[in-house]
Amino acid sequence: MKLQIKVDENGVIADAKFRTFGCGSAIASSSLATEWVIGKTVEEAAAIKNAEIAKYLSLPPVKRHCSMLAEDAIKTALHDYKEKLEKKTQN
Amino acid sequence: MLGLGVTRNVVQHAVRAGAVAGGAVRWATATAAREGTATEPKPVYLDYAATTPMDPRVLDAMLPHMVENFGNSGSRTHAYGWESEDAVEEARASVAELIGASPKDIVFTSGATESNNIAVKGVPRFYSRSKKHVITTQIEHKCVLDSCRALEREGFDVTYLPVQTNGLIDMAELEASIRDDTALISIMAVNNEIGVTQPIADIGALAKSRKVFFHTDAAQMFGKMPINVDDMNIDLLSISSHKIYGPKGVGALYVRRRPRARHPLWHLPTDLVVGLGAAAKVASEEMAYDSAHVAALSERLTRGILDAIPEVEINGDPVARYPGLMNYSFAYVEGESLLMALKDIAISSGSACTSASLEPSYVLRSLQVSEDLAHSSLRVSLSRFSTVEEVDHTIALLKGAVERLRDMSPLWELVQEGVDLSTIKWTADH
Repeated sequence: MKLQIKVDENGVIADAKFRTFGCGSAIASSSLATEWVIGKTVEEAAAIKNAEIAKYLSLPPVKRHCSMLAEDAIKTALHDYKEKLEKKTQN
Repeated sequence: MLGLGVTRNVVQHAVRAGAVAGGAVRWATATAAREGTATEPKPVYLDYAATTPMDPRVLDAMLPHMVENFGNSGSRTHAYGWESEDAVEEARASVAELIGASPKDIVFTSGATESNNIAVKGVPRFYSRSKKHVITTQIEHKCVLDSCRALEREGFDVTYLPVQTNGLIDMAELEASIRDDTALISIMAVNNEIGVTQPIADIGALAKSRKVFFHTDAAQMFGKMPINVDDMNIDLLSISSHKIYGPKGVGALYVRRRPRARHPLWHLPTDLVVGLGAAAKVASEEMAYDSAHVAALSERLTRGILDAIPEVEINGDPVARYPGLMNYSFAYVEGESLLMALKDIAISSGSACTSASLEPSYVLRSLQVSEDLAHSSLRVSLSRFSTVEEVDHTIALLKGAVERLRDMSPLWELVQEGVDLSTIKWTADH
């Protein structure tokens, strides 16, 4: 999964895009992740849990790990944003 | 077109015969519904390797045995039994004729799975006092592999031969693995996932020269490609009815008379056995047409796919195969998502996501296909009833679906940018 987020100066996620190599559940989970993070602050987005994604999509047990990957993708994107922000403020 | 023309015949025949026309008419109506209306797209079935519809001529042969000639073939004292017995023996002869065997050597079973179990377990067990070893391949059907595991639990040694990247076994490796105490070699004729054909005649000759029994699971070959058990030195052969336009629930096992392994007898379902016999008879009559038809469609499908879509691999040898069973990998696109995107076509995938265990196809792994490509595989299988329109429609849908999914694929994006995927660090540390 590849997740891209665009964060404005107030720390609010203005836009999000995804790319996924995976089954239908993986594509759906990452797609839902982009829909949910838009309009949220970075802190609110970090609070999104894979269980919520799985429940919303009615994922069967064998597909639950797809939602975990989506949660991971969100956290990784936020972490990457933080790193870039720190680098920017240092310069 | 063959299908539609024969449909009308079945309906007319059933009405004329005064048989309970409900079955045939309902079938004809169902077929019409499957064909769709002017506005609804026709759902396309391209999973014939999984199972096939019955040929209308098979249904024709079976119907009387469900209502009028319904006797138990074991009933010795009246015409109902005698007539059923005759029908069973006629079916037996049809099946035998298709593989160059004597009818006396054909045993009817509940299907190829049972036939495989009988052969693979039966022969070694019968000779267990002097023979302790069985040879098979890593790409056999699950029922053969499970039977071998059962034998291992009973104390037999089993050699699971690997295959080369084209799906074929190495004859030298096979020869080297034969021991003095080898009871049986069991190697399938046409693989059910990738369509590859093993060198059956060569294997048979080798087995005979070393005095080892040779069994082949011919479920995907019987009725589609010529088989002669004498020329090919085959001792046991498994047959599936529902892979060649016959009814489900019946199959057969060819067992060469001398020397022979013990096998169980069971009450025969006359209508199903007659169905298998009819399917064999029709296959024999139609083999030339079927082969040409399926080969042409397969060539058209492969050409069309390779021309329309870049980065596609064919899994399994391009030549040593039954052309009606193709397996393609579409790089950078995952199989289950592709199946979902192609919901108007019925096909299957070797992707892990479609199996409950999340393990990718063991057959593709045996070919040393990379994990990514194994996840990206589709099996497309054709039949006597497949049409040019269905093939063209599939190519067009595949092109659209693969393009859409590649647009969504991070792997495709990286490759387009010229990145070597093997250098990527996939999970970030945080």
